[in-house]
Amino acid sequence: MAEIRFHPGGLAIESRGVRVTLGDTQVLRGVDLHVPRGKIVALIGPNGSGKTTLLRCLLGLQKPDAGEIRLFGEHIGPKVLKRVGYVPQRLPLDRSFILSVREFLALRLPGTAGWFWQSHRRTDALLRDALEGLDLEGILGRPLSGLSGGQLQRVLIASSLLTKPELLLLDEPTAGVDRPGEQSFYELITEVHRRHKLTVVLVSHDLSMVYRHASRVYALNGVICCEGTPEEVMSADSLKQAYGIHVTPYHHDHGPGHHHVH
Amino acid sequence: MFTEAYMQRALVTALLLGPLCGLIGVFVTARRMAFFSDTISHAALAGIAVGFWLGFADPTLPMVAVGLGVAALMLWLKEKTDLLTDTIMALLLSGSVAFGIVVISLLKGFRGELHRYLFGDILSVGPQEVWLAFAVSAVVAVAVAVRLNALTLLTASEDLAHVSGIPVRRLNYAFVLVLTVVVALSIRLLGIILVTSLLVIPPAAARNIARNLRQQIVLAVLAGALGGGGGVALSYRFDLPCGPSIVLTSVALFLATLAASRLRQASGRALRSAP
Repeated sequence: MAEIRFHPGGLAIESRGVRVTLGDTQVLRGVDLHVPRGKIVALIGPNGSGKTTLLRCLLGLQKPDAGEIRLFGEHIGPKVLKRVGYVPQRLPLDRSFILSVREFLALRLPGTAGWFWQSHRRTDALLRDALEGLDLEGILGRPLSGLSGGQLQRVLIASSLLTKPELLLLDEPTAGVDRPGEQSFYELITEVHRRHKLTVVLVSHDLSMVYRHASRVYALNGVICCEGTPEEVMSADSLKQAYGIHVTPYHHDHGPGHHHVH
Repeated sequence: MFTEAYMQRALVTALLLGPLCGLIGVFVTARRMAFFSDTISHAALAGIAVGFWLGFADPTLPMVAVGLGVAALMLWLKEKTDLLTDTIMALLLSGSVAFGIVVISLLKGFRGELHRYLFGDILSVGPQEVWLAFAVSAVVAVAVAVRLNALTLLTASEDLAHVSGIPVRRLNYAFVLVLTVVVALSIRLLGIILVTSLLVIPPAAARNIARNLRQQIVLAVLAGALGGGGGVALSYRFDLPCGPSIVLTSVALFLATLAASRLRQASGRALRSAP
């Protein structure tokens, strides 16, 4: 393979030719992704398009069979992952695990690491700054496994912000959240983006959700089949590529670095 | 009443291992590893048999070794086959019990001992076991205290733990190692068949009345001490088998906390519905 040159300043996310095969299925067939810093962007694709696999690659949870990924110009490892916040869709929590919201948040903020031995008052004081604007004070004592979808999402966002990330990755953030909840989620993300000046990547199968909120959209279906502003990507042609019925035999390869511009 | 040395040893060991099992058990139950620990404990029968066959005077080492072997085999089968975890564990559990029984029946002079390992026996706790229990409890308690945040995050979500820079794989192996050693030590008191109960019942009793993880951990440690200590005392006083005495004491604690949580809920409802 030819020498790959990465962006010298370091994009938030830069991937070249990422391929992943799970079982007999080639889930990612050469993903080239370039996400600039400081924007809210969306990674969309139908179910089975490889969104989750790509997200797992970005988080270092899945090793690509081929290709390379860099975050802020660095290889994925514990060092660069310190600059990344991850908001999963849900937690695999058993109802018998009675971790409270306060305890969960305290796990990751350095000053609260001794939560077990500290008074709640002290832990809350340490958490207060980080929780500003997230409206969590009322549910700090509640068990994590008993929260509604929207509440859990806010807690997970708060938790990911505790380590002051520069890149925030959200997996299907509006799944399991009702319509009013969705609205307040976007208000929250816009506010978080403004306040913390970070790059936000929304990973979703829901086209309509990204329309008003992402400044750039990447449509994935094994490869990045198109990217651009929401208006460009929402045009009928590109949607057909991403969500069309005849996508499986569709092979699309302009070589690395080439993308559709609509 | 506790004038005999063997009795004091059994009581001290129970007061060390009960709280230790309560502490570890909070994470064992939350991580749905109760059946896993049951498999490890049954594998100890194979360990005892192999140890006796090879001429070990004390079966602790072979128990731990075979337990770790079975744990490794379990992880390997989980990774390499499409079998459900339950199926793999049931296979290894019954397989190692059968292997242990067959080996024991081929050996002479051990069969009488089998009962002690199946149901626990306070007479089998020697001075060495007390020191071992003390050392292991101290090391594990310190390790859990130091790595509490990592272990808790691992229990909440392995993916989040990984992204937070926690060495997930290493911590998982360390947890299995600790679990195997604790199970092997506890078999003296509880016996192979009942040893998992000390990992499951105290955390469950604590869960009934705890409002957060910190309370559950503290209460599970207390429940482990009460169940272990109380059980040994009962076993001595009424000449009962040790393991079942500990289990029944723990079950009584569980029922008491269950009743307490029901009462609290009922009184909460009554307060809310009052005008």
